[in-house]
Amino acid sequence: MAKMTLDELRSLRDSKKKEMTQRDGDKTAQIVVGMGTCGIAAGAKEAFDAFLDELDNHDVKNTRITQTGCMGLCFSEPTVEVAVPDMPRVIYGNVDADVARRIVKEHIIGKALVSDHIFDKPAKDIIDGETK
Amino acid sequence: MHASVCDLITDLVQNAIEAHAEEIMLNVEETEKNIKVVIQDNGKGMSAETLEKAKNPFWSDGKHRHRKVGLGLPFLFQTVDMTDGSAEIQSEEGVGTTVTFNLDPQHVDLPMFGNFVSTAVSLMTYEFDGNLTVQHSRNSRSYSVSKNDLTDALGNLNNLENMVLLKQFIQSNEEELR
Repeated sequence: MAKMTLDELRSLRDSKKKEMTQRDGDKTAQIVVGMGTCGIAAGAKEAFDAFLDELDNHDVKNTRITQTGCMGLCFSEPTVEVAVPDMPRVIYGNVDADVARRIVKEHIIGKALVSDHIFDKPAKDIIDGETK
Repeated sequence: MHASVCDLITDLVQNAIEAHAEEIMLNVEETEKNIKVVIQDNGKGMSAETLEKAKNPFWSDGKHRHRKVGLGLPFLFQTVDMTDGSAEIQSEEGVGTTVTFNLDPQHVDLPMFGNFVSTAVSLMTYEFDGNLTVQHSRNSRSYSVSKNDLTDALGNLNNLENMVLLKQFIQSNEEELR
């Protein structure tokens, strides 16, 4: 890749914008990556990078990725909070790059929770998919 | 010790963000013999007394209640001690803080450098009100980019598509340094 200038970046952005205006839906999924000392040490940046990569590979739009400091769950870092419209808000623990890719495929795209990495869960029946 | 020099850099730049800096400058100069990193901010700064305390791993500034440890700066000193590097912190309350460190890239105990592309993307898209300028040079080549310029070119940096473009931008500039 040749060195990109800010002007080239701007025009690339403008050409993408045209594609974007045809897209519908304003509901946005949100991914929050814990990026405190503990998160960084546990590999939160690799998870962050994997999210970016996987969402781009699957051409997923309408998703925001933000970062925050320590979530107070240092023992289960990297921790990631995922909020998808019409789904319970979930905090995942021990999210390495592979788990991050699973969250994109199973949770963001497939609308199913990645049950074995849930740290904080809304209710057991939601996790297990039981309605009793 | 952090797993990579980039992890250490991320952690220290976040200190500047958490100090409510309006302007943060991250300068990384790599040569074959030395890695020099300067992180300069105009945040709230520390008194000499607070700075001494901050070097102690069993002290934290109280942003987390009940927490008795804070490892950001101690990780820097540990890395420097173990690899015969040097580090200096200048800070003044109300003025800002400058952290400078030098590392020997050939030292056997130095962690790997790490991925600077994901480091820069992560820091540029960390949500805070101030500006961050990243300067990276390797031998005689260098580039510099600021968060204000990127926001101006792309708009909201937390939107996924913009993040992907930002990553391409940083990647293309990093490739020029090789």
